[in-house]
Amino acid sequence: MMGYQGVALVTPVTWGYAKQSPHGAAWFIGSVLREMCKRAGIDKTQVDGFAVSSFSLGVDSAVALTQHLGIRPRWIEQANVGGVSGIVALRRAARAVQCGEADIVACIGGDGAAHRAFEATAANFSSWSIDASFPYGAAGPNAAFSLITSHYMAKFGARREDFARIAVDQRYNANFYPGALLGHKTLSEAQYLQARPIAGPLHLFDCVMPCAGGEGFMVMSEARARALNLPFAGILATDELHNAHAEDPVQYRGGWTEYIEAFYQRAGYGPEDMDFLQTYDDYPVISMMQMEDLGFCAKGNGRQFVNETDMRFDHSGSPKYKLPHNTCGGQLSCGQAGSAAGFLGVTESIRQLTGQAGNHQVPGARLGLVSGYGMVNYDRGLCSAVAMLTRTKT
Amino acid sequence: MIASEKIKRRLKFHRPSLRARARAPKQRTSLGAQFSAANLSSSLAMQHCTHCGYVQYPPTELCGRCLEDALVYRDTIGTGVLLARTELHHSLWEFFKRRLQQGTWVMGSVKLDAGPVVLLHIGDIRLKPRDRVIVFSHSDNSQSVVLIAVPEDCDITESSTRHEIVGSLGLDQPALKEGGI
Ligand SMILES: [Zn+2]
Repeated sequence: MMGYQGVALVTPVTWGYAKQSPHGAAWFIGSVLREMCKRAGIDKTQVDGFAVSSFSLGVDSAVALTQHLGIRPRWIEQANVGGVSGIVALRRAARAVQCGEADIVACIGGDGAAHRAFEATAANFSSWSIDASFPYGAAGPNAAFSLITSHYMAKFGARREDFARIAVDQRYNANFYPGALLGHKTLSEAQYLQARPIAGPLHLFDCVMPCAGGEGFMVMSEARARALNLPFAGILATDELHNAHAEDPVQYRGGWTEYIEAFYQRAGYGPEDMDFLQTYDDYPVISMMQMEDLGFCAKGNGRQFVNETDMRFDHSGSPKYKLPHNTCGGQLSCGQAGSAAGFLGVTESIRQLTGQAGNHQVPGARLGLVSGYGMVNYDRGLCSAVAMLTRTKT
Repeated sequence: MIASEKIKRRLKFHRPSLRARARAPKQRTSLGAQFSAANLSSSLAMQHCTHCGYVQYPPTELCGRCLEDALVYRDTIGTGVLLARTELHHSLWEFFKRRLQQGTWVMGSVKLDAGPVVLLHIGDIRLKPRDRVIVFSHSDNSQSVVLIAVPEDCDITESSTRHEIVGSLGLDQPALKEGGI
């Protein structure tokens, strides 16, 4: 696979997180575009590539948005792939820039949160969920992930206390990130364990809070980023795989296992070199699964790994091994803004690597891994994706 | 009554929580409706591929293995193994919200001996992962067919037995609200 030399990731923007909002997806997507242009010091007409992900555009598409927003892209992408949408947009956009198909690509994920919108999304998520999963208790994603979590716990001996490690350290990180909807509240292990039950082993703090919000970044050439005087991050390697391990009756691993070794070889760095890790945390068990499948520990050892690892952004926790994880609090603390949640790890990684993370800056962050997972078509998340990003001299 | 007030009331009265009768989710795709139709006269009918023998679930138009347009509904043996189960405490749907006021709702996943993994209602709360089960189909109170698992040694040959199990789950009747609309 060809490398990503000369590609720059710039202007990470997070916009408008709210528990409920009167605004539609176009408002969040357009606002992110406006803010990114402001930060880049460019006019929107200079954006000639447009990659969009959203669940709540309704009858509209990325094409409709070009007319709404008054842009004239010569390259367009609409990948509604939920939890991998940010990494997928990054991959596609990077190639477009390298191949000269676009100069400046705006990659944006955004969704509204109208009254009862989450219920409607869950009830209509896919034809298989309509026919074969929603009728069984109508619990939305909680049902599938409750089954996955209880199966994982039985198979590998993980306990709720282990999942608490992930949620509690993430909340600590969110306490330093003003954008996190739950960042004003602390979370202790006791609070995590005593939370009200939702489904099987899942309790309140295992579940993300659906919300509205937008996330975005722009992809351009390094030369262009330098000319615009923008701090930027580079891409060392990426990969994706969908519907892997279809033969597993219950999901306990994702597509990463199939390509992660070659991925690290291409990147020239391994998991031990990472200054932070952003996983897709729709549920703590999914973060644990990623830590295993991305090679931070062996399969089934995620439980031990989180207990031996300080996942706070500032290395202030007691465990000896340090790996800042979901450094802005992840979705569990920020809220899950639909498709924007699939961008969250990417924008946060660019913030960290360009020194723009403010109060929750990981000291000396040079290399980071961001991973995506998602799209529960029926009984499991089908998508997996990963990108290794690096700080670059400007 | 002025128009805006009328709309307000209408919106209010369309809230599922105010309805006298709440039913299980009725929505199905056209393929799901065909699954329901095929199962009305069978204790379990699934799509079988006449080209490669694959048993397909959830219903699709083409065989998920060989991609041939060769799927037909056939009576299917419902035995299998319970993979995982969960007690729901929370639902997005009014029917289940009302049922949950009376206790948890148990659902799970089963690997059928015939091949597919099915999500279903659990008809016996004592069932645990790795237990052998038998799966059957039945109409729920929205006249859509759903799947239910019971222990393998449970004799479900009589449709009256199957109906009784569905009744004991509270699936055959809507969930009522006194004074609802
Ligand atoms: Zn076939």
